[in-house]
Amino acid sequence: MNCHEAMVLLPAYSDGELDPVQSAAIEKHVLGCADCTVQRDELERLRSRIRSEVPYYAAPPALHAWVKAALARAKDAPSPERPPRDRWRWLSAGALAGSAATVFAWFIGSAVLDWQVGTDLVAETVANHARATLGNRLVDVASSDRHTVKPWLSSRLDYSPPVQDFSADGLPLAGGRLDYLDGHPVATLVYRYREHTIDVFVRPAIGGRSASSPATATLRGFNVAHATGAGMEWWGVSDASADVLQSLVSRLARGPE
Amino acid sequence: MSVHRTGSTRFEDVVLPQLNAAYNLARWLTRNGHDAEDVVQEACERALKYFDAFRGGDAKAWFLTVVRHACYDWLKRNRPSEIAPGDGSEAIENAPDPAMLTPEEVVMRDASSSALAEAIAGLPVGYREVLILREFEELPYKDIARVVDIPIGTVMSRLARARALLQRSPLLHAIRDRSAGAER
Repeated sequence: MNCHEAMVLLPAYSDGELDPVQSAAIEKHVLGCADCTVQRDELERLRSRIRSEVPYYAAPPALHAWVKAALARAKDAPSPERPPRDRWRWLSAGALAGSAATVFAWFIGSAVLDWQVGTDLVAETVANHARATLGNRLVDVASSDRHTVKPWLSSRLDYSPPVQDFSADGLPLAGGRLDYLDGHPVATLVYRYREHTIDVFVRPAIGGRSASSPATATLRGFNVAHATGAGMEWWGVSDASADVLQSLVSRLARGPE
Repeated sequence: MSVHRTGSTRFEDVVLPQLNAAYNLARWLTRNGHDAEDVVQEACERALKYFDAFRGGDAKAWFLTVVRHACYDWLKRNRPSEIAPGDGSEAIENAPDPAMLTPEEVVMRDASSSALAEAIAGLPVGYREVLILREFEELPYKDIARVVDIPIGTVMSRLARARALLQRSPLLHAIRDRSAGAER
């Protein structure tokens, strides 16, 4: 590969769009070429500056509320093919009671967590988790080795998240990811538990907040557990059971054994 | 349970997880929080209406396509000079270059806000959108091509141009010079 070819392919390389063969060819060329090294470093520097200096605008709570209300309206609107009598029977069949119970349970569950962190963050962690599991971006760095995941995350953040692997207990580390939480980049540790994916968001605890025991909530079918410890705040989000989630988050918050 | 209700339930799974991505894109294209909210609301209404047309596949790319259309309709109404008729490629080439800002204009900018964010906000909209989709949403080129409705080759050339504009933006250099001066 010559310099001209390498310069053309460098952006696609740094965006992760090249196949392994092309990537290897680029890496080999860059090693021996000062100009292409400068070019590659500049691309990387711009990317890391964008990540650290440019705000990601998360949807404000009012917008979330508006969308949910619009969805509720759409659900309530009778569809043309459904006769009104049928609709009433559907309501009386306990669906209304069911949805009221769901809202109530959600309220009780999140009230516990509200007290410590606030539902906006809970909603954000769930949105992050759902986005990652729905899309194809589950991990940015795939590794069960905490000595690979930790430096990868540390080099992209202004803090270094403690990383532990619990393979021996059936909770193997699958990798790490960068997300946004509360408008800031946040480290996400990805664990597997049987068929479930567990995301754990980690960020430094604010203002020396003392260790707290985990609180849990349920939102849109996902369980969320929160704890503070080891100098960090931890949020676990998963469709795995609340017990598993709570025990994982408390172990992480206790710090390495 | 009616078809309609099933549709809404699935809609929730598709759209709600993408709400931050939608708002971030709209916020960067309209450059205003209030307008971004309006645009995302409009996009949700459209998405709900045309949800039947969504045949599965990548939910994020699909919804962001709807959001981008809503953004462009808003721009057409409110800032027609920012977008061109036709495919827009000509306007992009002729759009004011942020490198053309005078030093006075640079100094007038709010020093507390990130210079890089200012420089991105100053990019022509055609460059800004591919950069936001790539750097924040980390969409692969093929999805960016789908959302923006341009060939992959154009995605690559616009990204390259956007990055080159940022790298030589006087907004960045102004801050760098200022901090270098303070150290001296």
